[in-house]
Amino acid sequence: MSSFLLRHVKLTQPQLALMLQHQCRVEASTSSSASIVQHTPVVLDNTKPPPPLDADRMRMHPRIGNREIVGYGLKGKPEYFDLVMFPCPSIRWEADIPAIAELRKKEKGDWKQLSVEDKKKLYRASFRQTFEEFTAPSGVWKWTMGWTLISLAGLIMAYDAWRRVAYNIERPDSFSDEKLKKQLQYHIAARQGPMTGLSSKWDYETGTWKK
Amino acid sequence: MALLFRSTLIQLLTKTTRPMLMTMASTGRRNMSSHSKETDEEFDQRWKAYFERPNIDGWDIRQGINHMNRLDLIPEPEIISACLQACRRVNDHSLAVRYLEAIRYKSNAVSKEVWPWILQEIRPTLNQLGVSAPEDLGYDKPELALKSVDDM
Repeated sequence: MSSFLLRHVKLTQPQLALMLQHQCRVEASTSSSASIVQHTPVVLDNTKPPPPLDADRMRMHPRIGNREIVGYGLKGKPEYFDLVMFPCPSIRWEADIPAIAELRKKEKGDWKQLSVEDKKKLYRASFRQTFEEFTAPSGVWKWTMGWTLISLAGLIMAYDAWRRVAYNIERPDSFSDEKLKKQLQYHIAARQGPMTGLSSKWDYETGTWKK
Repeated sequence: MALLFRSTLIQLLTKTTRPMLMTMASTGRRNMSSHSKETDEEFDQRWKAYFERPNIDGWDIRQGINHMNRLDLIPEPEIISACLQACRRVNDHSLAVRYLEAIRYKSNAVSKEVWPWILQEIRPTLNQLGVSAPEDLGYDKPELALKSVDDM
């Protein structure tokens, strides 16, 4: 019902659509208390009215919430990114909740008065990850190596299974018992291994194995 | 003089006296392309003037930082100081830390000795403005383990 209303209003009066959307969303607020460790960063703060409209915000507001647009970014779009080549994204990471507004007031004064926790809070309000964090090694190579080797072994085993199924693999007839016995007689007659091997265990006088 | 060549950079670091810098600069720079005949001093002056404008705003600082980060060089300490002063004028401390982090990352890609030298050169500015280096905030090691955007 409300989405139909919004769609209709958006076509005729875009300014009004935003206010209606804000009214609908005030109940479903996602703001929570900010702390240094980002368990739930306040990215969409719906308890405050939206900032004044300009061209960028009219296009992007539902996606970026109340976050301040601070720069050009990559291609002029108000999107957040953590990239090594472009250190400064176009919007701040967290929304302007009162706790951060306090810190920004303090930031206008002497920076030596800011404690380390304040500075870290300010940094996390503007950026999602530090350089060290988004350039840290991910350990994906272990997964790739492991799965490569496993799949290689699997493929080789599959090939062997197909080979056994598709081809009639027989042993030569020289593996049969009579033939093996004949072979043994020939070896002994030819004196194979006379010192320490086969024939040394055969007693040639009696024609039996040595006791 | 922008620190362009690796060999001159290493020589620069082993002999850390200022007069040595000037003699290195006078050897000049050879261009493969013919489109820019700007010398290193002019380059430095241009960027310093850009950041030293008294009414610069956050948008322009971020443009300047992003643009300079794409160039194949590490900025001179004077340019870094001018940018930090500009951050002070717009009251944005986290931007200054981000800029220092970007330079630290870039210089570590060249050699482990560059970043301590740069820090040493801009330490007066850091002390004067009260900007924390990334090491002071503990950001030379990762602090949070967040999921990478590519894995979401």
